[in-house]
Amino acid sequence: MTQVLENTNTRTMTMAAAITDAMDVMLSKDPSVVMYGEDVGNLGGVYRITTGLQKKHGEERVFDSPLTESGIIGTAIGAAALGMRPVVELQFGGFMMPAFDQIFSHVSRFRYRSRGRWKSPLVVRFPVGGGLGLLEQHADSPEAYLMHTPGIKVAYPSNPVDAKGLLISAIEDDDPVFFFETIKLYRDPSLRTDVPSGYYNIPLGKARVAREGKDVTIISYGGMIQPSLAAAEAAAGAGISCEVIDLRTIVPLDIETILESVAKTGRVVIVHEAAKTGGVGAEIATQIMEKAFYELVAPIERVCSFDTMPSPFNSLNHFSRPEAHHVAAAIKKVLSA
Amino acid sequence: MANTRRSTKKGVAKIADDAMFAGSMPVSAGLTPFQILAPDGIPVREDLIPDLDVVEEMYRQMSRLRHLDDKFMQLYKSQKLGNYAQFGGQEASQIGSAMALDRKLDFIAPMYRNTAAMITHGWSIKNAIMYWRGHPEGWRLPDSANLLPIIISIPGQIVHAAGAAMALQMQKTGGIAMTYIGEGGTSQGDFHIGVNFAAARKAPAVFVIENNGWAISVPRKVQSSVDYLMRRAEGYGIPGYLVDGNDILAVHTVAKKAVQDARDGKGPSLIEQMTYRIRPHTTGDDPKAYRDENGDPKFWAENRDPIQRVRQFLTNEKRWNEDREVAMMVEISTEFQEALDAADAHAAPDPQALLEYVFVNPPSQLKEQQAILVERIKEASA
Repeated sequence: MTQVLENTNTRTMTMAAAITDAMDVMLSKDPSVVMYGEDVGNLGGVYRITTGLQKKHGEERVFDSPLTESGIIGTAIGAAALGMRPVVELQFGGFMMPAFDQIFSHVSRFRYRSRGRWKSPLVVRFPVGGGLGLLEQHADSPEAYLMHTPGIKVAYPSNPVDAKGLLISAIEDDDPVFFFETIKLYRDPSLRTDVPSGYYNIPLGKARVAREGKDVTIISYGGMIQPSLAAAEAAAGAGISCEVIDLRTIVPLDIETILESVAKTGRVVIVHEAAKTGGVGAEIATQIMEKAFYELVAPIERVCSFDTMPSPFNSLNHFSRPEAHHVAAAIKKVLSA
Repeated sequence: MANTRRSTKKGVAKIADDAMFAGSMPVSAGLTPFQILAPDGIPVREDLIPDLDVVEEMYRQMSRLRHLDDKFMQLYKSQKLGNYAQFGGQEASQIGSAMALDRKLDFIAPMYRNTAAMITHGWSIKNAIMYWRGHPEGWRLPDSANLLPIIISIPGQIVHAAGAAMALQMQKTGGIAMTYIGEGGTSQGDFHIGVNFAAARKAPAVFVIENNGWAISVPRKVQSSVDYLMRRAEGYGIPGYLVDGNDILAVHTVAKKAVQDARDGKGPSLIEQMTYRIRPHTTGDDPKAYRDENGDPKFWAENRDPIQRVRQFLTNEKRWNEDREVAMMVEISTEFQEALDAADAHAAPDPQALLEYVFVNPPSQLKEQQAILVERIKEASA
């Protein structure tokens, strides 16, 4: 599964621990890596993902910033231009909104605008996704805005091994990378697994086939891999073989792996937590249509949240946020076409 | 602006002194823009006149860039330049501050009106022409000049400068980052964000407000109720300076102090340079639609010109005369013409530039578009 492995020692980790480990590895490896954001220093971040890093690597390299997302991302642009590799944290994906100008006017364009004189090797990490009954803007999935913005990469891991390897790649990448961390997965005990110690990377832009199958292709990422796999497992009980593709990164989008699978199955279900209209699923469906229209034997189905804000009404959330039975219904639909 | 009033004490008017007595807002008492040369070229601070060779260099640089600003307007009118943001009238403000920098150590994070500051800091005239022509090779920032890219959607550059200053601080290079904003841009959230961020981290930055009175058609008074925008420095816990922005000696003296403080680890400063936009917002703007060009603009052009002020001073000092002026202008116009010829002779833009530098490692989707672009280039040349 991993592409570069320097040693074979492993440690059992949650996804949260694997992300912390990735930053620890890179802070040790590269002196230009610095880390800042709100509460990331002494406290270790609201989700404790940077716990212990300031103590180990010092206050000059891991520090609390003023409370300003635009300032965090804007300063990262300036610092990255001059040779640092800032890995900054936003407290929630929904808190990206105050930084929109810095992201869309500047992060994405700094290198283009200077014709290569300056690049933006920075990583913006943040927790995303709902299902936990949190406040408004604590459950957003803002990947579509970023996918639509040329010059920005988007990583969206679904498990501890990928999270560590992708984050290391993101930190080493010379393009700016937005790194989505699904809150629900941070400490999910079912995801605890053996993670290689020390340095390894998983390349950005290479999807993972999380489950092989031949009847239906399910394409998903992040927190939606679990319900996708659960639906595939349930379908297997009924004799239906589903392939589940975990994209790992939205940009670059590994369309090759998708097309290989579509050529095999001819039936596609796309699952994401973000709202349906204008979402990542719309782009994937279009690219499949452009490149593999005649392989399809059924219309593509999308399983997404409704076109409204992620529900702050906790008892109603499960009507919108995709669950395994929604995916199962979509599988049934593409098979019945 | 009380330009003729004499400053009475110390080198620079510092908000820290006055603010203690200022009471609640709005504040009206106490501040006079710092000045070394009065508008008539007579020194009000003899003790702060630098070496006259330096003054001559300032005069030469201001004349050189006024010529450029004039020529750029002509080029625009003859459709040989795109829409361009003029700085004419603000030469002292930009050149005086940029001359306080060390070209090797220090960086400028510019906005669109900073062509004069950028050239002072090492950008070439040829590059500037090609940038304002929208030629990708003009957009390519040369390795030889410590310039971040020109920011159009102000005031993003304020935050970038804070970040660049943080990097210089961490790398311990001794360098500092200077950035510019108009008075209108100070109303944006990122102005506060960037200055505060740098101040909180004592990052080596210098924030220059070029208060030229106008944000396109919107006058200064619409932006804020405070009398001087540099008073905000107190709110950030940093020094704030109020300077006659059309007095290059004053601008340079204050900028040197702010730069040295930043270099010495004392953190950023906020400088407000009082100047005036005697020209349109950009070459595409017609100020007659919103202001009386025979009023303030004419007054400032005729009575507050930053270049005439220094010329008068140098003439009084017997350092300048008509012969030297003529010889200098020949040099300046020759230099500009050579740069223009070189820009004209430069190869037309390569259309592939459209998709270069979007990503260091482009995704397959962009590579497909690159292939389409190559096809279109072939079709166009067929």
